[in-house]
Amino acid sequence: MLPGRILWYDAFTKEWNMLEIKNLTKSYGDLLALDHFSLTLEKGEVLGLLGPNGAGKTTLISILAGTVRDFTGSVRFLGHDLFSDRNLKNRLGIVPQDMAFYEELNAMDNLLFWGGLYDVPRDALKKRAAEILERVELSGRMKEPVKNFSGGMKRRLNTAIGLLHRPDLLLLDEPTVGIDVQAKVSILDLIRKVGAEGTGVIFTTHQLAEVENTCSRIAIMDCGRILAQGTMEELIRLVGEKDIVEITGNFPAASFTEALQDLDGNGIELLSAADNLATLAVADTEQIPKTMDRLFRRKLAVTDLKIKTPSLETVFLKLTGRSLRD
Amino acid sequence: MRRLKRILRIAGNDIRIMVKDKVFFFWTLAFPILFILLFGYLYKGGETAPPSAELTVLNQDEGRWGAYFLEKIKSPGIVLKTAGTEPAEYNRLIILPPDFSEKIEARKDQALALKKREDASAAAAARVEIRLYQAIARLLSELVLYGDGDLTKFLDGHAEFRDLVTVKTRYPAKTITVVPGGMDHAIPGITVQFIMMMVLIYGGVTVMEDRKKGVLSRLLFSPLSPGALYQAKLLARWLMGMLQALMLFVVGKIFFRLNLGDVPLSLLVIAVFALATAALSVFIGSLMGKEDMIIGLSILLANVFAGLGGCWWPIEVVPPAVRTMGMISPAYWAMDALHKLRFFQGDFAAVAPNLGVLLALAVVLSILAGRFFKIRD
Ligand SMILES: Nc1ncnc2c1ncn2[C@@H]1O[C@H](COP(=O)(O)OP(=O)(O)OP(=O)(O)O)[C@@H](O)[C@H]1O
Ligand SMILES: [Mg+2]
Repeated sequence: MLPGRILWYDAFTKEWNMLEIKNLTKSYGDLLALDHFSLTLEKGEVLGLLGPNGAGKTTLISILAGTVRDFTGSVRFLGHDLFSDRNLKNRLGIVPQDMAFYEELNAMDNLLFWGGLYDVPRDALKKRAAEILERVELSGRMKEPVKNFSGGMKRRLNTAIGLLHRPDLLLLDEPTVGIDVQAKVSILDLIRKVGAEGTGVIFTTHQLAEVENTCSRIAIMDCGRILAQGTMEELIRLVGEKDIVEITGNFPAASFTEALQDLDGNGIELLSAADNLATLAVADTEQIPKTMDRLFRRKLAVTDLKIKTPSLETVFLKLTGRSLRD
Repeated sequence: MRRLKRILRIAGNDIRIMVKDKVFFFWTLAFPILFILLFGYLYKGGETAPPSAELTVLNQDEGRWGAYFLEKIKSPGIVLKTAGTEPAEYNRLIILPPDFSEKIEARKDQALALKKREDASAAAAARVEIRLYQAIARLLSELVLYGDGDLTKFLDGHAEFRDLVTVKTRYPAKTITVVPGGMDHAIPGITVQFIMMMVLIYGGVTVMEDRKKGVLSRLLFSPLSPGALYQAKLLARWLMGMLQALMLFVVGKIFFRLNLGDVPLSLLVIAVFALATAALSVFIGSLMGKEDMIIGLSILLANVFAGLGGCWWPIEVVPPAVRTMGMISPAYWAMDALHKLRFFQGDFAAVAPNLGVLLALAVVLSILAGRFFKIRD
């Protein structure tokens, strides 16, 4: 199909979702990496996809990128089956988790090479490369071999390469992993701006703080499926009007769970229990002494107790029973 | 069209990165030239053999024709030594018997004994033999023209008869009259070896590294198809081999007066050989995940193939059994073709079987490498 025809479809895509993923399922042997995963995205939406290690984030991105096959389910992009036409990839930008570029070349040459694989006119490409280097604050070092770059600079270049051909949809796999705060802020800022310009964005992360300020929508996934999605407020409402109690001490997880077994009816909800650390959601703080009483009676040592307001982290705990960082 | 453009762009980029590498010139030029010098001087021979061939003469003739015959043998290419008795050491010895003149005058046929030291240069021996035939033919033709009179005086007046007869010696097929040697053997030999070393090591390791780094995957994020990506990687590695060959041939031409014989056919042989090597490098890079393993295997293959295939010494000098074994080496087919073109007056028909074997190998390896081409681990 000609790129022109895709443009023609654009007039209609405004009424459609830019991206529609339905029942995507992918297994590696017995392991279900994606389990009937469904998601839609509209133009200009920035979606943060939160999930712990092994949740299936990279698998999802790789399927959309076309490098992982043998899955079931469907993906429609701009009103087409994403896998029906290679030219659709001209509208899709992907920033992989790996720093996948040529360390021997300088930043400018990398951009010109990678951008050159898309259907972008040569002179436009040069202008855009200079522009994007400006945006990721690498203009000053664009003639230096990339192998001399710091981790943060490489991440920024990695991101820039995915943006060069001005895609309608940008997918980023953990774009901020392992870099300093300054580079992180710069990349998140770029993601926000790109979204504001009308590009759809999905980015995956482990970091709650990142999605809180960057995304218009958040999806929480684990074990290959989406557990919940919505705006920050909507997600926090899932926990209800409750306070969060974080208890640190010296106890096995099992004993802790046992101690609080039949307290549910009193508005106490056990969100997570690990050895020496447990989190509860309580409707009324007056219930806290009752809880502590139970622990003491079982001789479970408590060294610290913190009361917090619900956050995204609480939602995540409630949904997955584990912290994002484990 | 777009597909071709993308393929060329990716292949060109691979070459650009290779050329930027600091060790590139060391591996493609410095190191091979060292080898060329070593093996070039070690196996001197062929056309660069000593400019003159030695012949010792034991003239026992009692008449005048013996001395006359010796005059006919004299030539700038022949160092003539005379001996009074049969010497203990000689390279080649011809004996003119006491009745040499008598038999000539009686028009009786006779056989002259030419003795050769077994391990003396075959090329020099060939030159001496040719000169002897020429001398005999001259002597006979002069006898026909002028009988038994004083021929020298006759010829002074008839210069047109002086070189009336020239002799071309033909040898039965398979007789090795020339042992390839010198730079014309060493440069193609080392080139074939280093195409294997360079393309297998560099080409294999970069395919593996690009896969591990996620570069191959990222290339496929674009509208590029996996098939086109494979072709681009294959093309790049073929170009690496060709670049290597051209650089060594140009250096050989300028500094060592390299003579390949038929240049276009020689390049065709190298091109098909480089294609097979390129496919093998992609194959190895896809199958293996560790740099050490790829380098180890490449060095092993390149050197075993080079040694067996006659890159270091002319395959013509090894025993027939070893020569037959060498046929398992792709380098054998390339070197054999290059020798035919340079040393044995070979034409396209002569090297067609070699090209066929190499092409079949290139096709099989390309298909294998394509099947096993791995984008991600
Ligand atoms: N090529 C593969 N072969 C076998 N299993 C795989 C393969 N790739 C991924 N998996 C498994 O699929 C599951 C999902 O992996 P995936 O890489 O998508 O997770 P992720 O959310 O990106 O994790 P991370 O946060 O660590 O990057 C994991 O259990 C992983 O071990
Ligand atoms: Mg991942």
